Amino acid sequence: MSERPRIPPKAYARAAAAGLGGVVLLVLPFYLERFWLQAGLFAMAAAIGAIGINLLTGATGQLSMGHAFFLAVGAYGYCALAGDGTDGLAGLGLPGWLAAVLAVGLAGLAGGVFSPIAGRLHGAYLGIATLALIFIGQHVLFNAHDLTGGYNGRAVPPLNLLGLTFDDSELLVAQVPFGAVEKLWYLGLALLLAGVLFARGVLRGRPGRAMNAIRDHRIAAGVMGIPVARHRAAVFVLSSMYAGLAGVLLALVFQRTVPEYFGMALSLEYLAMIVIGGLGSVAGAVAGGIFVALLPQVLNRYAEALPLVSAPGTGGIAPGEAARYLYGAAVVGTVLFLPGGLARLVARTPIHRPSGETR
Amino acid sequence: MSTFAEFLINGLSLGSIYALIALGFVVIFRATEVVNFAHASLLLAGGYFVAVLHEPLGFWPALAAGTAGAAVVGAAVEFLVMRRHRGADHSVLAIVTIGVDILLATELTRRIGTDILALGDPWGDAVVTVGPVTIAETRIAALLAAALLITAFLLAFRHTSWGVAMRAAAESQETAALMGVRLGRVSLGAWAVAGALAAVAALFLTVFPTPGLERGTSLAALKAFPAAILGGLDSTTGALAGGLIVGVVESLATGYQSDLAFLGRGIGDLAPYLVMVAVLLIRPAGLFGTKELARV
Amino acid sequence: MNHRRQAVRGLAAALATLVALTAAGCSSKAKSGDAKETGAGGVKMGEGVTDTTITLGALTDMTGVYATLGKSVTQAQQLWVKQTNAAGGICDRKLELTVRDHGYDPQKALAAYTELEPKVVGYAQFIGSPFVAAVKQRVDGQDKGLVMPQAWSASLLGSPYIRVLGATYDVETINAVDFLVTEKGLRKGDKLGHVYFEGDYGENALKGSKYAAGQAGLTVVEQKIKPTDNDMSAQVAALKQAGVKAVLVSAGPRQAASLVGVAAATGLRVPVVGNNSAFAPQLLGTQAGPALEKMYWFASPSLPIGADTPVAKKLAADYAAAYPEDGLDNGVVAGWTAATAFGEILKKACEKGDLTREGVSKALLILNAHDPGFGMTHDFTDPKSPSSRQSVIIQPDKKAAGGMRTVREPFVSEAAKSYTF
Repeated sequence: MSERPRIPPKAYARAAAAGLGGVVLLVLPFYLERFWLQAGLFAMAAAIGAIGINLLTGATGQLSMGHAFFLAVGAYGYCALAGDGTDGLAGLGLPGWLAAVLAVGLAGLAGGVFSPIAGRLHGAYLGIATLALIFIGQHVLFNAHDLTGGYNGRAVPPLNLLGLTFDDSELLVAQVPFGAVEKLWYLGLALLLAGVLFARGVLRGRPGRAMNAIRDHRIAAGVMGIPVARHRAAVFVLSSMYAGLAGVLLALVFQRTVPEYFGMALSLEYLAMIVIGGLGSVAGAVAGGIFVALLPQVLNRYAEALPLVSAPGTGGIAPGEAARYLYGAAVVGTVLFLPGGLARLVARTPIHRPSGETR
Repeated sequence: MSTFAEFLINGLSLGSIYALIALGFVVIFRATEVVNFAHASLLLAGGYFVAVLHEPLGFWPALAAGTAGAAVVGAAVEFLVMRRHRGADHSVLAIVTIGVDILLATELTRRIGTDILALGDPWGDAVVTVGPVTIAETRIAALLAAALLITAFLLAFRHTSWGVAMRAAAESQETAALMGVRLGRVSLGAWAVAGALAAVAALFLTVFPTPGLERGTSLAALKAFPAAILGGLDSTTGALAGGLIVGVVESLATGYQSDLAFLGRGIGDLAPYLVMVAVLLIRPAGLFGTKELARV
Repeated sequence: MNHRRQAVRGLAAALATLVALTAAGCSSKAKSGDAKETGAGGVKMGEGVTDTTITLGALTDMTGVYATLGKSVTQAQQLWVKQTNAAGGICDRKLELTVRDHGYDPQKALAAYTELEPKVVGYAQFIGSPFVAAVKQRVDGQDKGLVMPQAWSASLLGSPYIRVLGATYDVETINAVDFLVTEKGLRKGDKLGHVYFEGDYGENALKGSKYAAGQAGLTVVEQKIKPTDNDMSAQVAALKQAGVKAVLVSAGPRQAASLVGVAAATGLRVPVVGNNSAFAPQLLGTQAGPALEKMYWFASPSLPIGADTPVAKKLAADYAAAYPEDGLDNGVVAGWTAATAFGEILKKACEKGDLTREGVSKALLILNAHDPGFGMTHDFTDPKSPSSRQSVIIQPDKKAAGGMRTVREPFVSEAAKSYTF
């Protein structure tokens, strides 16, 4: 009698936990106040963007400081494509879902246009060349008034999907009033899930192995027959598309674009996210994104309760400063003490194999 | 024409300050292959020490103390943070320096608060007029200081044992270690030197014509990135050339912005990056950087 | 097998409970009817108002670009709250000011707004005009809480709930040009330099200067700068080459100091006038101090902190007593006037018996002669106009209280009267 391989109990516990977590996420809009839902949406957008930069920098080793530029392309692209021109700015008036898809494509196209330049550069040279993208982006955002609204930004047209408009018009679901954040919550979850699954698929398959080979031994990879330039360009495009998607989601949450937002500090935040979460891992990128996005919100909210941190206007360390200390310390500390990031921390729990060996 | 000359001279003097900052970058990169994004806060630290010490100690002792202080901060960063992960991926190390920058910058801006600190320099707002061109004395001092320091470094890299050790470590860390080069000392020295250079640059960034040291001063260090890249991250001559080019481009683009208005106003900040990208397209390793050669 | 069954059972149970709870509307978010409560004193209450407290929000920047302004405004408003509570509060209720520091980060600003929105009657402070613009849609659409931003950009006009206290930058700049023409010898045909920040502050001021220049026959020579630019040598050289006879500066204190210092040193000795955000008393201690005292003036929407009115004197004394280490500057005045205006509106709303948000905005719209004691009278009846078109011209003076003294009392120039937004 051959014994059917026993699925280890830990796997059931994991699946059950995941299922429970999923259910909790689905009912949260019915219980949480808007502040937390909005923070959660920021975290989701950050996670999506982090997955993108992770594919580029973590998996393929191309340091890019221009991620915020592609976020801007996604956000402003959506506004330009979906806008109906009533605010005096350029708009094509396309339906929301189509505009969103095309905006993501536009971000990918922008990535494609930059990728030949990126292909010629390596290491720090690439990093700072991508910084040029940020400055170009800011210049265009502030000066191309007819397209971007200049310093005023643009109003973001609400998304209309299957008859449901994701704006603040109230919708009663089980007696709970649903505004924009509650409706966008589900959209965000769906997009994040799709993004995670796709990235996982890419990283676990042949492209992922090729990318890692390019990161670790670029020349050897080329010698082995991996088309290095093509892969590098393709990852740039893919990572830009993720950034564009994050940009669209952020635009929908903000309801108005703010040009100052898409600056160097945002790019650096994404780099910090993937280091804290663990380079090269999708789960790590998501964890890092959530951590970096939620940390300042939590600290600001609970400033009074924390020791050392004082409420604004009373001297001492302000919550904003405390958040930055923690953030910087997290980046440095992760590399020093936790080299694989948060992802490695979770993966350290040993898995029991049927034959009794532990890994 | 005289305005062009004035823009040019202003640009060269501003560029010499950028060259000083870029030199600090290059020193660290040559010794450890790490891109140091914490340079801006090293700069702020150096300036802060001088600002705080110039009243009790007088200007020149304060400058010496500030330079030493910034060198100590740089060395501390190397010893506590960078050294622990020498073998790690360069992207990771670069991102770690971002974390260090955030920590240092937050602490310093908290201490500086909302003040604008003077550094007590001896040049004040004196200007020198040569024909139709006016130039501030502080900028002449900056030019001279930059020229002096960069020449000193060029010579040091070539002729002192420390310079040789650094070049050896830059070529191949393993071989250098086998040959008896103490890698720890080399990188500690590099970070300390970078800190000292940043302090000197901070001095020139906060005297006339700027009002003084305050929390936004470190943002000027950002402009040295394209300078270092443009010249080649591992070349001291490149740091000088890159700094001067960036300074001149910025000064000209700002001065002539009325004529360049069709490109959008405020192009002065963007122009150096455009020049950098243009240079990188032709020479991917910068003007004077060593091209990466791989033998398979 | 047991593990599996247990896991599935547990999951199913949890799922069922959650769904049941949700369907039963057992959520604190569930709507239980639209009863607008009537509370103590027979006053209708809405968000931010209970029987014992009225809560106001303050969205400030204490750690970012506008930290100086944020600190002064917040501390002034906290002082006002303390004094008002000591005098018995408003409508027999104590006031509370909830402060959130967004550090000039758009995400944090939006989050702070969303967090405080259900808990406050309105916002007595909101620094960062891009962020105010970003939430304008929400404010006008469903939130309707009164916002008093510390940003004088004309792009914020037009909303009944977002009310700028004092002349907007364009009107202020028009008044500044009038000062230059009538008192500093600027004549028709002259060139006027204008160094301005990228963003709504500078570009709004530029609109004003172009209008005033058109009216007075001047030509404007523009120089756009960024908030990170500290060295104005190139700008001064360009202006010198253009042969300007006066310069306007719509930037921050550091840029103004650099501009004036370089201009004085390189021989461009022309009058320089800045907007209200282009001066801080700390500048008098820098190298540019002497030049600032000789050739620099700035316009302001209210009298300075060192003015000779009883209110100003009392505020200066009280603030110095409460915060002995912090200097007096016009941010204190801005915070104070916004707070007292809000208090005035709340009192009127209380008289009418309606402290809901609608009640507050109704009270606002009938307030047409509010004088906070700093020389101006504010009229809130027209949302499309700022509450006042008056400006004061101030000159830096090390010896005066607050480092500045008034050179021209509150006035509205002819051009400013005819200016339409």
